[in-house]
Amino acid sequence: MSHLSSADVDETTEAEAPATDEAREEIVAIFTEELGDALLGSHIRPGDDVWLRVSRDAWRTAGIVLRDRAGCRAFEFLSAIDWLPSPFGKSEDSPTDERPEPDTEIVTGYAGGDTRFQVFARALSYHRKLGVTLKVDLPDDDLSIETWLPVFAGVNWHERETHEMFGIDFVGHGHLAPIYLPGEFEGHPLRKDFPLLARIVKPWPGIVDVEPMPEAEGGADDEEASE
Amino acid sequence: MGLVESGKLPKPLTSLLNTSRKYSIWIFQWGLACCAIEMGAALGSPRYDVMRLGVIPLPASPRQADLVCFSGTVTDKMVPAIRRLYDQMPDPKYVISMGSCANCGGPYWDSYSVTKGVDQVVPVDVYVPGCPPRPEALLEGIVLLQQRIGKEDMVERWKGEPLVVS
Amino acid sequence: MTAVSDRQKLAYVNSQAADGRVNLEFETQEGMTLNMGPQHPATHGTLRIIVKLDGESVIAAEPVMGYMHRGYEKLTEVRTYPQVTTLVNRIDWLGSFANEVPFILAAEKLMEVEAPPRAQWIRTILFELSRIANISLFVGDMALHIGAMTAAFYAFRDREFVLNQIEAVTGGRFHPNFDRIGGLKDDLPKGWIADTKAAMEKIRDFCDEMDDLVTGNEIFQARTRGVGVIPADVAQQFGLSGANLRSSGVDWDLRRDQPVGLAWDQADWKVWTHPDGDSFARFWVRIQEVRESTKIVDQLLDGLPAGPIMAKVPRIIKVPEGEAWVATENPLGEMGYYVVSKGDLGPFRVKIRTASFNNVSVVPWVCRGVYVPDVVTILASLYFILGDIDR
Repeated sequence: MSHLSSADVDETTEAEAPATDEAREEIVAIFTEELGDALLGSHIRPGDDVWLRVSRDAWRTAGIVLRDRAGCRAFEFLSAIDWLPSPFGKSEDSPTDERPEPDTEIVTGYAGGDTRFQVFARALSYHRKLGVTLKVDLPDDDLSIETWLPVFAGVNWHERETHEMFGIDFVGHGHLAPIYLPGEFEGHPLRKDFPLLARIVKPWPGIVDVEPMPEAEGGADDEEASE
Repeated sequence: MGLVESGKLPKPLTSLLNTSRKYSIWIFQWGLACCAIEMGAALGSPRYDVMRLGVIPLPASPRQADLVCFSGTVTDKMVPAIRRLYDQMPDPKYVISMGSCANCGGPYWDSYSVTKGVDQVVPVDVYVPGCPPRPEALLEGIVLLQQRIGKEDMVERWKGEPLVVS
Repeated sequence: MTAVSDRQKLAYVNSQAADGRVNLEFETQEGMTLNMGPQHPATHGTLRIIVKLDGESVIAAEPVMGYMHRGYEKLTEVRTYPQVTTLVNRIDWLGSFANEVPFILAAEKLMEVEAPPRAQWIRTILFELSRIANISLFVGDMALHIGAMTAAFYAFRDREFVLNQIEAVTGGRFHPNFDRIGGLKDDLPKGWIADTKAAMEKIRDFCDEMDDLVTGNEIFQARTRGVGVIPADVAQQFGLSGANLRSSGVDWDLRRDQPVGLAWDQADWKVWTHPDGDSFARFWVRIQEVRESTKIVDQLLDGLPAGPIMAKVPRIIKVPEGEAWVATENPLGEMGYYVVSKGDLGPFRVKIRTASFNNVSVVPWVCRGVYVPDVVTILASLYFILGDIDR
């Protein structure tokens, strides 16, 4: 498994993809041609998937390119990722140990990223038989982005959900009412700094049952889960 | 039923009333989540056939029901509706909480949107554990409730005070 | 009334306040507002639909969800990978096993582990069995919504045969939690193959019976033909998937078009489409799907390879850094998991793309201008599961 990369287009495809994937490289070429500098990064896993990162200003244009030029007419989903490491530690941390100093370094995933919040969406092309994931960075001080409603009608509820879960504003949406939670609910649950109060009141007790960890990579091979 | 209100209900009459009550329960099905399908299998399928226990499923409205079965996850958004429908049921009314979620939150014990048990909202008579419980388990819960109804003191019930039934 | 606790009093006050808000809506809107739900009369769970009416025809319909929102995406972040399968079982509770598979495949893709062939075949068989268990209930349920109650009893009866087979392998009727990263928990029990073939025979009889009872019924056809037509273009825009998409004439099935390693390509079966895009088409396509599923199961049982059912995986599962998207053709449509891992015991972020969320998002579009009884038909034919919408 390759490590996460934020390299630009050419380096990514050359350094990390010994095998070639023409169909997906064609998608990257289409976006490079249409968006130029607004295409900030891309990542191809040959035979599997392609990730593209575009600039915030070009988000809607990228959507239209995705739909019309790349032929991905079937909308799949739109959501966001909060790349901040959880300040409440990981689930496997023991509740009795002292909580480690929370990690604040933001490491983003495929196709790179500079900021904490990233909106990502995916669409599918029936005739190419592949899907494309688009990502876009949002600056922390202005969590807003153009709506994709003119691109895919189905994005309506997805943007409402993302607004509710992350507090991201979709400019031009017009009806960002809460979709899941009751009106009185405060906070944005899918942000990493949203605490699960039940876990803080009563920490997960399952940690006592977990066997000691095998030594990093070396011990992994001689252990078998099946009989 | 002047006898009941005056508190002078003879024992044989109590027993007769209880017996007739416990074998003519109208169960209002409140299917919330996965357990609803198992409840549907218990109430609506020929294999489990709840009617042989003297329980009549699928009333048109909670106003006609004696028993409500909450089966599935209760969310904070759902709570007002649950309370409202419970209040619309005529007394004496009984509640079965079916499945781990309705009992205590179940697998969603740490979720931000799930109520940790329907008993925070309405009083519960019988808890049926399981995730989801088999239809047989729900039937046993109903039998337990019938035993409980059989032992009830009608006069105490009429006073409107909380009942303690052993 | 019996004594109530403080929490119960609070709930009562809240319910009164909710009443007030609804009344306010009634008074301020033009036309008449009809509230359907959140207590759904059928077994789907709880969906509320606010319909604005002009006489008998619908001006606007707005689904209100969230009554079953359980916060899966947040909960996956505080659980380990094996624990997550327990949770995701319960998203689409009628086809539970099918929910586990794409998540496990995504984790396997990140770990670069592949389950042995026998495990893949058994996965496929169980996947199809859960599809049959799911859709056979739909068949009865759709008829129930139209007003034919008998079909629902038959569906519940014949569904048990499939549930018995799932239970015999996994130990659970509903939530098997049987899939493991790298394979399966256990092998098939003795005598299971013959039993399953007998069950498939019964399911095929059930489909014929339903065709006799429901599909050819004049009233049923009058209620469903031409009701709730979704053109192919709209279906794609809204991201419809599964039978809802195929009944709009789009020939797309992830089982055939995006193989994920399971054994569907080993069987000979057909993807059914229907050009009409109406409620009847959705019903018809689903019945054909059940028939095809029984065929797939029969063929895979015949050619089941021998061998281990578990690949070599470390005892404690740590998934390497990376992102993976795996989608499969679930009973309700395309279900996908976008898993982001940071090399920990648990995932960093899981985006769950469920079929029903997209399928139901077309309701405001398709319900405009229909009559009130047609709303019920359309909802039944779109076939959603509340856990699948709200997650």
